[in-house]
Amino acid sequence: MTVVEPAPSAAYVPELDQVEEVGPRRRRVRNLGTWIPAGMIALIVFACFLGPLVLGLPRPIGGNILESYLPAGSPGHLLGTDPNGNDILSRLLNGGRASLLIAFTVNVLGLLIGGTLGAVSGYLGGAVDTVIMRVLDVLIAFPSLVLTLAVAQALGPSMTNTILALTFFSIPAVARVARSAVLRLRSMPFMAAAELAGTPGWRVLLRHLAPNIVPQLITFAMLGMGIVIIIEGALSFLGLGIPAPNPSWGNMVAEGQLSLSATPMLVVWPSVALLLTVLSFNLLGENLRARWGGR
Amino acid sequence: MTTATTTPRVPVDRDPRVSLTRMTGSPVLRLVVKRLLMAIPIMLGVTILTYWVLSLIPGNAAQQLLGPEATPEDIAQLEEQLGLNRSGVARYFDWLGGALTGDLGNSMVSRQPVSDVLGDRLPVTVELVVLAFVVSLVLAIPVALAAAHRPNGLFDRISMFVSTAGLSVANYVLALVLVLVFAVQLGVLPAIGYTPLSDGVGDNLRGMILPSAAIGIPLFCFYARFLRGDLVDQLQQEEYITTARAKGIGPWQVLLRHAFRNSSFGLITVVGLNLGALIGGTVIIEQIFSLPGIGQLLLQAINTRDVVVVQAVVVIFALVAVVANLVVDLLYAVLDPRIRHDSR
Repeated sequence: MTVVEPAPSAAYVPELDQVEEVGPRRRRVRNLGTWIPAGMIALIVFACFLGPLVLGLPRPIGGNILESYLPAGSPGHLLGTDPNGNDILSRLLNGGRASLLIAFTVNVLGLLIGGTLGAVSGYLGGAVDTVIMRVLDVLIAFPSLVLTLAVAQALGPSMTNTILALTFFSIPAVARVARSAVLRLRSMPFMAAAELAGTPGWRVLLRHLAPNIVPQLITFAMLGMGIVIIIEGALSFLGLGIPAPNPSWGNMVAEGQLSLSATPMLVVWPSVALLLTVLSFNLLGENLRARWGGR
Repeated sequence: MTTATTTPRVPVDRDPRVSLTRMTGSPVLRLVVKRLLMAIPIMLGVTILTYWVLSLIPGNAAQQLLGPEATPEDIAQLEEQLGLNRSGVARYFDWLGGALTGDLGNSMVSRQPVSDVLGDRLPVTVELVVLAFVVSLVLAIPVALAAAHRPNGLFDRISMFVSTAGLSVANYVLALVLVLVFAVQLGVLPAIGYTPLSDGVGDNLRGMILPSAAIGIPLFCFYARFLRGDLVDQLQQEEYITTARAKGIGPWQVLLRHAFRNSSFGLITVVGLNLGALIGGTVIIEQIFSLPGIGQLLLQAINTRDVVVVQAVVVIFALVAVVANLVVDLLYAVLDPRIRHDSR
């Protein structure tokens, strides 16, 4: 007989008391609830990244001023043109690409840094935990918009700086989620087994804890995508995100606001895009949460 | 969350038995002291972070005030007047000393005392936040109760989908949509501007309806979802609900008098935790509706590099967040005897 090291908990095993029992009908509804928003997201991503190429749209900037304010359905301009004669559909899709890219990068960075900090903090406990969590408390108490405004002002508006500013503020939230997830797992039998087998700490963190907290972090990241897209829009709206001639949903809304009563559609299109994208991420996040249990 | 090993840092009396009975005699007081002590490093950290972040922004108030045409001598002179020629650390400690004795300094741009500026601006923001809370709670509580009355019923499903959609709307988009409908199309409410309370309560409120709705509606969606979830949990899992039902109490009575009472705890927590984020969110709404609150003040101050004013506003924001958390914890302790006796 061979002595076996406790199997690394590779797959997430939902704790039974957390997950509601569901019948086949509910399960089907739940599957739909996952796949519809996931499909929407896929569609939006595809449209934003490949749409301008596939549809052969004009460039989002440097339009002909003589073609400004064309109504929707004009030849060559499906949604019409803006005050500078730029094609609205092209700006919408290119702007969406910037928003999605920023949201994705911010969330990946936030997950990696915040997730590591939170997991280590929860696993080690004691002084390390106290120091990390107190520092993050400061970040949480610091008004996030102020921080992002200041960073955007300090470094000048650009995509990289927007990502930097938003990441800074997404870290503490992820860290809290990761920490509380680890704290819940710490008393599980497989943790004691790993410890008894003499598994080194980094290995416990990587092979035993990480796979178990990833689902919760991903669920959180789905909600985080929505939040980051909205805040990025707010920054661009205030002129501190994506710099002006380049499109972003936020600065398109801000531009449209100037002629709100005359051409409301300039505000409506980016708003609808923003709403649909954030709604899809929120619905997907909610559904994954119901599936995987936990908060 | 709480670290059980920390000893309460209250002054030790000479007779250990006296202090022991005093401390165990009033756990709420001990909690207050502990939480207040925890709040101090957080507030210090926030102020240091603000100074540091602002020092990263190129240009200072002197350069901004004098404009690009100014000679270096002029700038140097004004910097000396404003105290900007000294090191950041020295200025921070000056500011901290002043702030602790109640002197927040003078604005670098208008030279007015910051406390006067805040006195003008703060009521506008407070009114906005209070109205937003009223709007959100007045809507959220009945909707959540009606939804929880029949979980997975028609009303529940519709209202929960609508509130998920509402949560996905950015408040600046919502603000513009409200302006578009109520100010541009219907023309019943003013689009921008602020009428002071002294010029008539009616006019003042008319101007505040759209801004407070823009903040309050997403908040309503959030609270409604949260409260509905909590109510359903209570109704399905708690034994006191079974007891109440067994006594023959009607479903609405059970919902209102039993489940809602307990769920209001969770609601209080969420409302408190939200307050910090909410007050930060007023920045953009005040900008859209040109309300002269502290959010607008903050944006102006960041643009003019008016460090003193930025610092004051950030401190207010952080203080609100920290105090709200504290009050939530205390309310918990006061309302729920289990926490009062367990907390150490």
